[in-house]
Amino acid sequence: MRCNGRPLGVLAAVTKGLFILWAVPGQGGRPLQPPTLQQIQALVRHMAEDAQELFTFYEENQGLAIHHLCRTNHPPEWLRGPVAGSRGLRGLQGTMARMSQALQDITRHQRDLNPPGAEILRRLASTHLKVRGLLSNLKGLFPAPSSNPGLRPRPTAPTKVFQQKLEGCRILWSYSRFMAKLNAQLEARSRRARREKQRSHRGSHLPTRS
Amino acid sequence: MMNHFMVLALLLPLRTCYTTYSQQESVVFPVMYLNVSKDLALQRLLVEWDVGKSAHDAELAMSFEIQVRQTDETATVWTEFHNVTLDKSGKPLHWTWDSDLPLECVSHSVRIRSKAEASKIWSPWSLWETVLGLDTSSNSGPQIFPNEKIIEEGSDLTLCCIGRKGQIIQEFFIDLDGRVFNHTSSQDRLLTLKNVTHEVRHITAYCRESCNEKQCSDQSVFIVGKPPDTPHDFSCQTQDKRRVTCTWSQGGDTYLYGSHSPKYTVSEEFSQKIVPCTVSCSERCSCSWDIGQQTIYNITVAVENPLGRKTATDVFDVTHRIYPAAPFQLWEKCTDTEINLYWKHQNKEIELFCQTEVLHPDGKVQLHNSSETRQNYASITLGGLRPYTEYTARVRCGAAEHFWRWSEWSEARTIRTMESAPSGELDIWREITPVLGGRNVTLFWKQTPSFRANGRNISYEVTWEKVEDGSEPESISFSSVYNSTRISIDNHSYRISIMAKNNVNYSLPSVLIIPRATDTEELKEEQVSGTDDGIFISWEPRQIYNSYIIDWCNFPMLQPCDLQWKRFGPNTSSALINSGAFVPGVRYNFHIYGSVANRASLLEKKTGYLKELPPLHDPTVRKVELSPNAVTLFWDYNLTNESGFVRGYHVYVSPVQGDCSLKGSEKYTVPDYSVLCKYTIENPEEKTYTVKHLLPNTKYKLVVKAYTGGGETPIVNFRYIDTPFNSNMLYLVFLLVIVPSLVAALCRWKMKWVKECCCPVIPSPSKSKALSFKEFKIGSEKVLKISDCIPDALAVDNKAEAQNFHPWSQLSSTSTADQSDDDNSSWIYPTDHEERDPAPTPTPQTHTWFENFAYSSHLAVESNVCQTPETRAGSKPDPSVVLYQPQYYFDILNGGAGSSPRDTAGRKTSLRYVSQTAVHCLGRRL
Repeated sequence: MRCNGRPLGVLAAVTKGLFILWAVPGQGGRPLQPPTLQQIQALVRHMAEDAQELFTFYEENQGLAIHHLCRTNHPPEWLRGPVAGSRGLRGLQGTMARMSQALQDITRHQRDLNPPGAEILRRLASTHLKVRGLLSNLKGLFPAPSSNPGLRPRPTAPTKVFQQKLEGCRILWSYSRFMAKLNAQLEARSRRARREKQRSHRGSHLPTRS
Repeated sequence: MMNHFMVLALLLPLRTCYTTYSQQESVVFPVMYLNVSKDLALQRLLVEWDVGKSAHDAELAMSFEIQVRQTDETATVWTEFHNVTLDKSGKPLHWTWDSDLPLECVSHSVRIRSKAEASKIWSPWSLWETVLGLDTSSNSGPQIFPNEKIIEEGSDLTLCCIGRKGQIIQEFFIDLDGRVFNHTSSQDRLLTLKNVTHEVRHITAYCRESCNEKQCSDQSVFIVGKPPDTPHDFSCQTQDKRRVTCTWSQGGDTYLYGSHSPKYTVSEEFSQKIVPCTVSCSERCSCSWDIGQQTIYNITVAVENPLGRKTATDVFDVTHRIYPAAPFQLWEKCTDTEINLYWKHQNKEIELFCQTEVLHPDGKVQLHNSSETRQNYASITLGGLRPYTEYTARVRCGAAEHFWRWSEWSEARTIRTMESAPSGELDIWREITPVLGGRNVTLFWKQTPSFRANGRNISYEVTWEKVEDGSEPESISFSSVYNSTRISIDNHSYRISIMAKNNVNYSLPSVLIIPRATDTEELKEEQVSGTDDGIFISWEPRQIYNSYIIDWCNFPMLQPCDLQWKRFGPNTSSALINSGAFVPGVRYNFHIYGSVANRASLLEKKTGYLKELPPLHDPTVRKVELSPNAVTLFWDYNLTNESGFVRGYHVYVSPVQGDCSLKGSEKYTVPDYSVLCKYTIENPEEKTYTVKHLLPNTKYKLVVKAYTGGGETPIVNFRYIDTPFNSNMLYLVFLLVIVPSLVAALCRWKMKWVKECCCPVIPSPSKSKALSFKEFKIGSEKVLKISDCIPDALAVDNKAEAQNFHPWSQLSSTSTADQSDDDNSSWIYPTDHEERDPAPTPTPQTHTWFENFAYSSHLAVESNVCQTPETRAGSKPDPSVVLYQPQYYFDILNGGAGSSPRDTAGRKTSLRYVSQTAVHCLGRRL
């Protein structure tokens, strides 16, 4: 997804900005209104790309590419999934709330290691904004209170700097995998819905057998 | 005896003292007890030891030499001398040592020896007391030491990795932003990074045992930073004696961020309290808090990060640290020359000393100081100002008592003073043009440097009146945009005055007297020269005048010509006139006037150029008179309206072919390197010139150029002339060629008569007595024997023999080589005729020649054709004559003239017979 050419990169950034304005309710001065499923799906697609880019940058920036230490096959429990179907989307609220907390922790750790305005801090803030955006969309889509999202007690934070970096990296890796899977599920569901719609559309035009 | 006892009494104590001293010198107090422990958090060795109780009891001053050795090192890594005076309490002694190498990595051993200061002998060393490092990790995995820490930039970092029991360290390296560093020390367990820098963002150490489980590895991150700088420029002050603000500069970057960034604390020493203020830093750090009754403070600011702590202190009396708030709400009352400026301030209970800055329109800045009473407002009077002028003022204040520093400036306020009557005078001048029945006077005025309009609506009023009869004055007003007007007056004397006027009043009038019109003598115009800085004008000073005026036109060719004038004092007699309008090549006319009692009289006229340029036009040659050797040129030239003073003319002449070298001329080389003859006519009024010494019948080019002080234009546009043929030469040709030819033709035509006249009939030889031969007679004729004749010429008619003779050689009685020399010949054919003949082969024929012209007349005539007058005139031809010979060669005899003598001789080969009778003609020589 990366563009090598600078004009293409600028174009992509502008496109993403416009996309977020459209996908996240309340952005750009639009009146707050419930998002559509297509908007959420588009946002998820964009977040999946962003999560992958953030992980790649973080791993390189933090010097954790050696032995691929963060690429764990044992993600935190709350990032296992996602669950398919509308129940899954409803449950996504909790995941995003935990992810928002995790991003805050990672950002706080990184503030001790980087000067204000560092690229890693900027990227983390950007991803955090998207997570909060998706969370807001989900709340708009499922107004009923979900099962205590974001209220779970945090696990004991590592005290060693390396462990903090490693923990952050693992969470970002798991998050990128999670978003990739979620995006794939939503894409598949969308394709399936389109096929069914086309099938039913064709079926309504078929002559009835007597 | 008594004396001997006293000596012994003195020696005894000395000996006692010596013995005691000697004993002390040799006494040692070895270390009786030594214990070494470690503080892993501080990475510090704690050493405790003691000496014997006797040493404590003696309260000896002792020195201890302490050595530290690291197990893995063979040499002592540290030696230190520790001096202490023992007391009777008997407490053990302590010493600490900070290790660069983590204490977990290697074992550390310490030993000590002692020496009483009075002693010269060190005690024996104690045994090495060792504190062990970690042989094996006590954790569930390998351990890197030191644990994660912040290290100071420039220091060295030594790491070790301790594996678990039974495990082998397989990997141990440092990742420096992707660069792997794994050079370990000889013991293969230590990694040392020298001179670490903050530019490496991540120093991460990795250690892994030979297993692959998660717990088989350890990692540590090291952050590089700098200790904080001491706060600079730390000072505290108050605006109102109620709240104190301390400020300082935070110094350089520590490269430590977030929770590791520097933290500031401010404390007060006298009260031993932390100052309750919040530090905020942007360009400078500051912290403010409310104070109570305390007036003297000792404030310390401490800055601390994981690498160090620095402090700065300021002790002050609050009343001496007053930094007032800036004055505000400025307002003013003003007249035409004064401004009363008012302002308010917040510090009503503090007596202030204020400074007002006034910015003048010319950029000059004035400062006015004022003391301020404790009123609701303060004020200052600014005097000596100009009317209707904008000034910008601002105010700042400081404490009148115990001045500490100025406040910030108030906001600047721009104020305009009131209007007043124009001050100063106008500078006026006039230009008088006589017209029928009177004069037109153009009046000009301008503001002198001292003139001030002092108001916004400036206008000018012109008034004129007759001087003599005091008639009613006339006047007219003009707005500020006008600076001239024209009035018509008669020939009487007039008084003209011009005043400036604004909303308040008039200025003083400037007066000019126009004298009665009289016939004045025309002044001669003198030439002046320009310089780089202008045109220099000088005049003869006259004592009667109190000023002089020079006027001129900036644009002499235009109408109006932008008349300018300049005034000078009575002691001035020269001036350098310059104007931005002056350009090279334009003639400017200057009139110099003397002025007394406002009456101006024309004194002198000058004319000149800022810089002369070459003439704009060339003279027009209107007439050329040619002669064979001279040309006379007549030209027209208008001397006025030129771009410089015309100083004269140059006439340039040159033959069309080749360079010129005419007598009496000056050589001038033009850019194409051809040489012209140059003649200079220095009188510009003289417009004719004769160029002499030209060659006749030659083509010449010539040109006439005018020249000025700026030179002349390039030499182009030559005029071409052809000098005529010289008629005298024709006369000469006529005399030398035509006349003889005519005579010859006449002679030929009247040959018989000529013969008779010039060569009378020769009597018959038979009738001659000289030839009365008796011995031999043939018939009726006598025969002359050859032997009886003495020959005086010989003709050879044999081809072979003829070649031995020059065909044109003079016949002689003896044919010797000397006698046949051409130089001695009476008849010579021009040698050049020989040379021109491409066929020099001599005609192998015999010729007969007679000295007696009468016998060879036909030959002589034909021979004459080939003989030029010159050849006849001299034995050798002059080369110059030879050169010009073809010009004077005329074909007179119709065909035979162009023949060479050789041809002629050839054609006469028919004359092969030698008449025996002709021999008689030779007898004239006999």
